[in-house]
Amino acid sequence: MLEILSSPLFGIALSIVAFRIGMWVNKKLKTPLANPLIIAMLLVVGFLSAFGIPVEVYEEGSSFILMFLAPVTAVLALTIYRQRKTLMGSFLPVLLGTLAGAVAALATVRISCDLLGLDRTILASLLSKSVTTPVAIALTEQFGGIPALTIASTIITGLAGNLLAPVLPKVFGITDPVAHGVGIGACSHALGTSKALEIGEIEGAMSSISISLSAIWTVLLAPLFF
Amino acid sequence: MKYLTQLAVIFGLCLVGDVISALLPFSFPGSVVSMLLVLVLLSTKLLKEQALGESADFMLRNMTFFFIPPGVSIIRYMDIINSIWWQLLLVNIVSVITCFAAASWTVVLVGRMQKALAGRRHA
Repeated sequence: MLEILSSPLFGIALSIVAFRIGMWVNKKLKTPLANPLIIAMLLVVGFLSAFGIPVEVYEEGSSFILMFLAPVTAVLALTIYRQRKTLMGSFLPVLLGTLAGAVAALATVRISCDLLGLDRTILASLLSKSVTTPVAIALTEQFGGIPALTIASTIITGLAGNLLAPVLPKVFGITDPVAHGVGIGACSHALGTSKALEIGEIEGAMSSISISLSAIWTVLLAPLFF
Repeated sequence: MKYLTQLAVIFGLCLVGDVISALLPFSFPGSVVSMLLVLVLLSTKLLKEQALGESADFMLRNMTFFFIPPGVSIIRYMDIINSIWWQLLLVNIVSVITCFAAASWTVVLVGRMQKALAGRRHA
């Protein structure tokens, strides 16, 4: 029985059903806390434990899905390309803003990991967590971290960014919508960007451009903080 | 056939990215090399948006789906997470705030400097 379940067909089918339910619940509840990824993960874990299926069996089958992380990252280029006109309008501020954001995130993670006495495997898994998940996982693997911890952190970071997005500009005295959008995209990737899109058109566009730019800066600079 | 061709183009570019990444003298994720490669090819018009087409949009729209398997693997690391859960929360939330402040203040600052420079040029 377990042999059949370790086939990609089982892993993929279970993941798709869980994802569809997650998306449906998210649409119904309309809160970032009902995150489709969290719901789908809980459903898969619940299903596996209810039927006594070891998680390793699911992992064997679902490794087929993981193969798509590289293509997903590659096509992210389209999101920058499609926004080239908006980007060109404020090229330098956005380029340098995402650079500063990447340095701040990397430095904060490094310093707080040192202060809290977390070991290097944890640091390797957390350094990249501000950027979009496929790139974050690639960086974690490069540093020898645990991708699952990175996923957990990108979700926490994204949710924090999503919930704090409306408050942070008031705290830091930001009134410029471009600065607001870049801040959200740099610190909390797509999960924060979904909030930025609700706040305004400029905020949303700037936030989504910043996702990919921050990812590039972070990949370039992360080795300096490891 | 169209979708298969698009997938072949995307996968092919990923393989090229991996080859370039292996040749680089420093470590840099192959998938990010592919992303930069696609961006360069699109900008130089060597690659048309339609060549990636619906298959690329399908991946972008359903991006979250691809993180379910690594997300499920979190349960294998529950003992680690349980032992450092508050540190994990703290690091994540503090870095969100510092990153936001640094990024948005820099945008404001650079914008002001550009305006000042433009003003001087006009004067």
